[in-house]
Amino acid sequence: MNCTEVVENFPLYTYGELSAELEESVESHLASCAGCQAAFARHRAFLDALDHRPDANEGALLAECRMDFRRAIATDGARRSAGWLESLRHLSQFHIPLRIPVGAMALVALGFFGARYTPEKFGGIRAGLTEPMFSNVQSIQPDSSGKIQLTVDEVQRRVVTGGLDEPRIQRLLLEAVREESNPGVRVESIGVLKNSADSEPVRRALTDAVTRDPNAGVRLKALEGLIPYAGDPAVRKTLAGVLLKDDNAGVRMKAIDVLEAHHDDSIVGVLQSVVSREDDGYIRGRARDMLQTMKASVGTY
Amino acid sequence: MSDVAGTVSALLAPPLESTNDENGLIRAAQRGDQAAFESLVREYDRSVLRLAVNLLHSPDEARDVYQEAFLKVYRNLGSFRFDCSFHTWLYRIVTNVCLDHLRRRKVRKEESTVVETPDGPVDQASRVVEESSFGNPERRAWNRELSAGITAALETLTPRERTVFELRHYEGLRLRAIGEILGTTEEAAKNCLFRATQKMRASLETFV
Repeated sequence: MNCTEVVENFPLYTYGELSAELEESVESHLASCAGCQAAFARHRAFLDALDHRPDANEGALLAECRMDFRRAIATDGARRSAGWLESLRHLSQFHIPLRIPVGAMALVALGFFGARYTPEKFGGIRAGLTEPMFSNVQSIQPDSSGKIQLTVDEVQRRVVTGGLDEPRIQRLLLEAVREESNPGVRVESIGVLKNSADSEPVRRALTDAVTRDPNAGVRLKALEGLIPYAGDPAVRKTLAGVLLKDDNAGVRMKAIDVLEAHHDDSIVGVLQSVVSREDDGYIRGRARDMLQTMKASVGTY
Repeated sequence: MSDVAGTVSALLAPPLESTNDENGLIRAAQRGDQAAFESLVREYDRSVLRLAVNLLHSPDEARDVYQEAFLKVYRNLGSFRFDCSFHTWLYRIVTNVCLDHLRRRKVRKEESTVVETPDGPVDQASRVVEESSFGNPERRAWNRELSAGITAALETLTPRERTVFELRHYEGLRLRAIGEILGTTEEAAKNCLFRATQKMRASLETFV
């Protein structure tokens, strides 16, 4: 392989898309060609630069999209129901036989066209419930007595009180950690749960939040919750990933703080990567200091 | 970068316990089970929205893509015959909707979302999480310029090149999977990626 061919293959090589044979040819050439080594370093710098793209931050938008989509499906279902005479296939989805009287079909149309409904029209449903925030009719089944059974999804707000040791409270808090539309709720739930991180579901939720939450404040809070468990190899692996990949310098700084207090030889490679790739001078310096303390080489070969 | 791509790919892989779980959900949804359909949507909608935001760089258009794509899924799920993975089928729909939007945008010659400010070029369409105060101001300014540069560089790509580049580099999908999604061959996807990478390298020369 000549230099031109090697350089042309850099993109596929770095994405792992070359055959084993071609990959080996590129690596053999790189091992002995200083010019191509320099070109490869420039290609790697280009790939690293691409990581500076702004984060999509789709969390809040996702909640809006989901609500809009639920309404769109309800409207779509209503349109199909209104055309039931033309299409038996739509009828079969909603279990409505052809003989249903026009009056009942009017009820179907009313149910579908409203994202909210007036409880009085469906007597008895309101009893015992607070005002629904959002409702959606899922299916309609008439019976032989002329009554109609509707399956309705509703979103209601209510207050739930209990101790952290109660399973339902823990369950709700674990759900709140994943509340896409409100980072404040996620931070608060983590703040409460981190005192119970010896529980496996809680620790898993904290780990997920540290690695996947789109909000840096939430990730930082979750990281704090993992501090007591930084001696655990799985937790240290998570922290190493955060140090290498998190796009917020404050979060990376916290990760290196925690790793420094619980370091072992397994993180030498991670620290060497930080020294060569980290943007933030303070974090790079900390990594360098840790390597020197561990009497490990600062550079890679 | 292949490590990061692998990690991203793992994050994007269907998190359901097994393909059988997902096939069960699909069949239930095809029978009209709305809860099953909603579960199916929830497995993928975050990554779909993220792809749309990153390709179109417009939250409003991304929202439109989300609605259009998942409504198509809702209306056509009955015709899904399990001859490919649901992920491939869904992404085929999503990328086609995104490509339509990108092509319409090219025809309308929409303005770039990058504007010049006293602090340097800023991408108005981005929702960047503010850096913590730990970075130095010069580094922050450079990062902002680079972000804007990346956005501008992506806009020099054709809609197809942009889609292939996004799916390979940022989403971590393999070229074979990208070829299946776009209804083309792995070789064609490879050539498209090569052209896209060359253009991106040329556009970002000053930053590297």
